[in-house]
Amino acid sequence: MFSSILGCEFSDMWAMLLAPLFAAALSAFFLRRSKWGAAAVSVLSATFALILAMGLLLGESGDSASKSVEIFKLGGFSINFGFLFDEISKNMVFVVCFVGWLIHIFSVGYMDKDDAKGRFFGGLSFFMFSMTGIMLADNLFMMFIFWEFVGFSSYMLIAHYADTEYSKMASKKAFIANRVGDFGFLIGIIWCYHVFGTTEFGAIATALKANPSLALTPMALLLICGFLGKSAQFPLQVWLTDAMAGPTPVSALIHAATMVAAGVFMTVRLGVVGLLTPVASGFMVLICSLMAMCAGFWALGQRDIKKTLAYSTLAHLGLMGVAVGLGAYGIAMMHLTMHAFFKAALFLVAGSVIYACHHEQDMFKMGGLARKMPITALAAFLATCSIISVPFFAGYYSKEMILNISLLSLVNEYVNASVSDVSGLCRLGALGAFKIATFAFVLIAALLTPLYMARLFFAVFLGKPMSEKAVKARENSLFMTIPLVVLGVFSLAGAWGAVFGGLKWLGGKMSGLMPLSAENFMAFSQTGWEHFHKMIEGDVLFDWAGAMLLVCTLILILIAYFLYGRGEDKIESDHPIMYHILEKHGWFDDVYNYYVLKVQQRFAVLINALDMLLIQGFAVKGLALISRLLGLVIKSWHVKWVSSYVVWMVLGLLAAFIILAV
Amino acid sequence: MEISEITFLSGVYAPLICAVLAFAFSKFAGELAVKSVAFFGCAIALASSVLTAVFYAKNGVLEVSSAFGQMGVNGVSSAMYLLAGIVGFAAFLWTMVSPVKIRGISTYLVCMLFMQGGLMGMFASQNVLWMYAFHEFALVPTFIAMCVWGGENRKSAAMEMAVYLTLGALLALLGIIALAFVSTSTLTFNLRELADAFASGNIGAKSAGVIFAVLAVGLGALVSLFPLHSWAPKTYNEAPAAFSMLHAGVLKKFGLYLLIQVAVPLLGANAGLSMGAITVLALLNVILIGLCTMAQNDFKMMVSYSSVSHMGLCFLGIASMSVLGAGGTVMIMFGHGLSVAALFIFAEIIKSRFSTCDMPSLGGAYKNMPVCAGLFVAAVLANIGLPGFANFWGEISVFAALWSKGAAVCALAVSGIIISAIYGLRAVASIFFGAQSDAVKKAGNCDISWKERSPILILLLALILVGFAPKLITVPLDETLGGIPAYNLTDK
Repeated sequence: MFSSILGCEFSDMWAMLLAPLFAAALSAFFLRRSKWGAAAVSVLSATFALILAMGLLLGESGDSASKSVEIFKLGGFSINFGFLFDEISKNMVFVVCFVGWLIHIFSVGYMDKDDAKGRFFGGLSFFMFSMTGIMLADNLFMMFIFWEFVGFSSYMLIAHYADTEYSKMASKKAFIANRVGDFGFLIGIIWCYHVFGTTEFGAIATALKANPSLALTPMALLLICGFLGKSAQFPLQVWLTDAMAGPTPVSALIHAATMVAAGVFMTVRLGVVGLLTPVASGFMVLICSLMAMCAGFWALGQRDIKKTLAYSTLAHLGLMGVAVGLGAYGIAMMHLTMHAFFKAALFLVAGSVIYACHHEQDMFKMGGLARKMPITALAAFLATCSIISVPFFAGYYSKEMILNISLLSLVNEYVNASVSDVSGLCRLGALGAFKIATFAFVLIAALLTPLYMARLFFAVFLGKPMSEKAVKARENSLFMTIPLVVLGVFSLAGAWGAVFGGLKWLGGKMSGLMPLSAENFMAFSQTGWEHFHKMIEGDVLFDWAGAMLLVCTLILILIAYFLYGRGEDKIESDHPIMYHILEKHGWFDDVYNYYVLKVQQRFAVLINALDMLLIQGFAVKGLALISRLLGLVIKSWHVKWVSSYVVWMVLGLLAAFIILAV
Repeated sequence: MEISEITFLSGVYAPLICAVLAFAFSKFAGELAVKSVAFFGCAIALASSVLTAVFYAKNGVLEVSSAFGQMGVNGVSSAMYLLAGIVGFAAFLWTMVSPVKIRGISTYLVCMLFMQGGLMGMFASQNVLWMYAFHEFALVPTFIAMCVWGGENRKSAAMEMAVYLTLGALLALLGIIALAFVSTSTLTFNLRELADAFASGNIGAKSAGVIFAVLAVGLGALVSLFPLHSWAPKTYNEAPAAFSMLHAGVLKKFGLYLLIQVAVPLLGANAGLSMGAITVLALLNVILIGLCTMAQNDFKMMVSYSSVSHMGLCFLGIASMSVLGAGGTVMIMFGHGLSVAALFIFAEIIKSRFSTCDMPSLGGAYKNMPVCAGLFVAAVLANIGLPGFANFWGEISVFAALWSKGAAVCALAVSGIIISAIYGLRAVASIFFGAQSDAVKKAGNCDISWKERSPILILLLALILVGFAPKLITVPLDETLGGIPAYNLTDK
C-alpha cells in the first residue's frame, strides 16, 4: 500500500509495525490526561494495523522475506531487522491483529471509568508494536529485542493498578520470571550465532538441511528456556496466574491469546528450521504435558474467575507445547489460533461479568447471570463448548488433533518396535514408558477441561445470584458485547474453513484463517488417518476412543454439575484438605518465596556483609593501620636522630649504587 | 584553524575559561552572573561535543594541536566526548533546578566547570600524559566538592576515595611512563607515535606484559574493579548529586577509556595473563557486587553499587580483546553514563521529597508523582539493559564477544541480566508501587516540575536515540576499532 503511494522502500510491514508505536508515544506524551484521546488513537492504530494485515494476507501469496536492514554492527557481528512473512507469521499476524483489535474495542468500554487511560492504551499499543515485531522477525536477535519489549509491556500493564500490593508483587514477578527464561534464551541465541554465523531463520534452515548435526541439544534446550519463561511452563509458570492482577483486557490479550503464545510461536519457528533435536523435543513434550495436567487440577482450586482461566491457559499452552514437541507444528499453530479465539472470548466474558459485578472476581459470589447478561452468557456458552471440544466447535478440531498425534506417537513406538501385543509395550522400556506417561498426562489434561470449565460456567451463569453485586448486574454496553459476540462466533466456526475443504474463503487465501495449519491439517487428515488405520489393521481404536472421549466429557459435565451446580464448591466444603492441595498449586509459590526471601536475599546480605568486613573493613582499614604504624615508627626516628637526613641520604646513595652495579 | 577544529577545541577551553571567569566574578558579581557563565561553559561544551561527533562521523578525521598538546578524536573518543558533554550539561541543569539548596553555589559551579573542562580534555587529548593530567585535574574538584558539600560521612569517604584514586592513578602514571620509556628513545607520549613505535616492535613480550599488569591494576582501582571497589559506593553516596553524576557517569570511565585506547592497542598482544585475571575479577564484579546491590536498602547506595557492578561488564568486554567486545564496552560506558546520571538525579528527588532514600520505608509514590514514576521506570530499565536504550547494545555485544572466552564465562556474565532485573525492579516496586507509606503520604502531591524534568529528559532522550539508532555511535566506533590490530587478532 505504502510503497506504491510513497514510491520508496517503506513497506506495509514497517507501517504495521510502527503505527502502534507511534500511537503509544502519542498517548504517553500528549494524551495522558485526555478522556478519550488515548483510547481513540489506540483503537485507530489497531484498526489501521488490521487493515494492513488483511491487505497483506489477501494480497500476497507464498512466502516473502523482505530485504533486511542492518541496525547494528561491530566487527564481524551485526544485527539486522528484516521481515519474514511466511505461513506461520501470516497465521500469527491474523490472530494478533484481529483478536487484538477486538480487545482494543472491548477496552474502550471496560476502561471507561479508569483514571489512567493514557497509560493503559499507550501500553496496549506498545504491546501491539512489540508483538508485531516478534511475529515478523526474520532472525533470533530481532526476535529477542521485541521479546524483551513484550516483557516490558506486560510488566507495565500488570502494574496498571500500581497502588495495590498485589500488582506490585505480580508485575515484578512476571518480569523477573521472564528474565530468567531470557537468560537461557539469550545464551542460546549467542551460541546459535556462533555456530551458524547468523541467526536468520532462512540461513539456519539451509545450513541445517546441508548438515543436520549442527543442531545441538543443549543449544535447543537453552532456546527453549525462552519458551518456558514467556509461555509460563514448568518451572517458570508461577508468574502467569499472578499476572491476572492487570486489567482484564490485558489478561485477555497478553496473558491468554497472544503474548504467552509467542513462546509457542518461537518454538514452532525453531522446529520448522530444524533446530529442535529429538531430545529437546522430548523434553518439551514431557514438561508441557505435565504442565497441562497439573494446571488442569490447579484450576479446580481457584475461586477467582480470572485465575481459573489463567490455569486453563497454562494447560492449553502445555498442549500446544506437546504438539510442537511431537513435531506437529501446524497443529500447534492451529490450536494456538483456536485457543486465541475461545480464550480471548472467555477472558472478555470474565471482564464483562467482573465489570457488571463491580469488580467482584469470586465466581461463587456471582451466579444466575445468564438471565441478567444474556449476550455475555451466549458468548460464554460458545467459548466453553469450544474449549471442552464439543464436536464441530473450533476447539474440538485442534484439541482432538493433539490428543490423536499424542496417541499416534505412542502407537508408532509400538509398531516400530514390532511388538505384537499391548503387553509388549512394557518391554519397550524407558521410551515406551515416557510415551505412555505423556499420553496419559495429555489425556487427563483433556478430561479435566470440561470439569473446570463447567464449574466456572455453572457458578457464574446458572443458579441464583450469590451476592448483592450479582443481583444488580446487568448487560454491558455495545463496546463490550460486540467483541464478545464476534469472538464467540469464531470460537464456534473458526476451524470450519480449514476442516470443510470445500469452504473456500476469500479465494482460498484465507482458507481457515490459518494457512499452514489448514494445509497440515488436511494433509494429516487424509494421509495421516489412512496411515494410522493401516497401522492398527482396521482396528476401530480411534472411533472408539473419540466416542469414549465424548461420553467422558458428558459424564464429567454431570459430575461438575453435581459438585458445583448448587452455587458452592462441594470439594471445598466437604474435602478441605483436597481443596487445599489443589489451591496450593504444587507449593511452587511457597518454595520460590522461601528461596527468594530466605536463601537468595540472605545470601546477598551475607555477601554484602563479607564485602564490608573483609574488603572494606579488614583490607582497607588494616592497610590504613599498617601505614599509620609505619608513620609512627619513622616519625620517632626522625625526632631522635638529629643527623638522620645524612644517614638516610647515605643509605639511599648506597642502595642506588648497588642497584646500578648489579 | 578550521571551524570544525575551533568547535572541537571550544569544548575543552570553554568550561575552563568560564571556570576562571566565574571564579573571578564570584568575588564581586552576583550569583546570577556566575550561573550564566556556568551555563555558557556547559552549553558550549555540549554543543561542541555534539557537533564534533557529527563532524567526525561525516569526515572521519579530526586532529589539531592545542595548548594542551595534540588533540583529536577517533570513534571511541568521539562517543566519550559526547557523553561528557551531555552528562556535564545535565549535571549543570540539575544543579540549577534541584530542590536542594546549595550554600555557596558560586564555588560549587566553579568546581563543576573545572571538572567539566578536565573531563572534556581527558577525551579530547591524544597525548597519554595529557589524558592523565586532565583526569587528575578533574579529580581534584570532586574531592573538594565532597569535602564541602558531601553527606554525613563525607570525610572518611573522601579520604578513602583519595587514597584509592591517588594510588591507582600513581600506578597508572608509572605504567604510562614505562610505556614511553620502553618504546621510544625520544620519550614521546603522543598516542600515534607510541603506536608506531610499538608497531615497529622492539619491545620484549615480558616487559609489555608487566607494564600492562601495572596499568591494569592502577586503572582497575580507578574503575572500581573487584576487590579495589570499596571506595566507589561510599563516594557516590556521599558526593553531591552533580558530582556523583559526573564522577560515576564520566570520570570513572577514564580507566576503561585508557585501557581501550592505549593499553590494549599497545600491549594487548602480550597481556594474556592479566586478561585472564581481569576476566575473573570482572565476573566477581558482575555477580558478587550484583548481590551486594541486591542487599542495599538505601536507593542511592543501590545505584552506587549497581554502577560498580556494571563496570564488570565493561572489563569483560575489554578482556575479550575484540572489536565487538571493546565496542560493546564503549556502548555500555555511554549508556551507563547517561542512565546512572539520571538515577542519581532521582535519588536526590526522592531524598528531597520524602526526606529518605530508604526503600523499605517508601512505597506508593506513584500516586504522588506519576510523571516522575514513569521517567524513573525508564531510567531503571535503561540501566538494566532493556532494548530501546543504549545500554542494551553494549550488553548484548559484550555477551556475544564473551563466547570466545568459553560458554561458562558467557553464561556467568549473562546472569547479570537477572541480578540487575531483581534489584532494578525491586527499587521501582518498593518506591513507587504498592500502598503509600507514611513518609510518602505526608509528602502529598509532589510531582516533578518541567524544570526538574529537563535534565532527566535530556539524558533519556540521548539513551533512546542511541537505543533506536545505535549506528550513530557504532559506525565510527567500528571503523576505529577495526583499524587497531590488537582487537582483530581473533576476528575472522
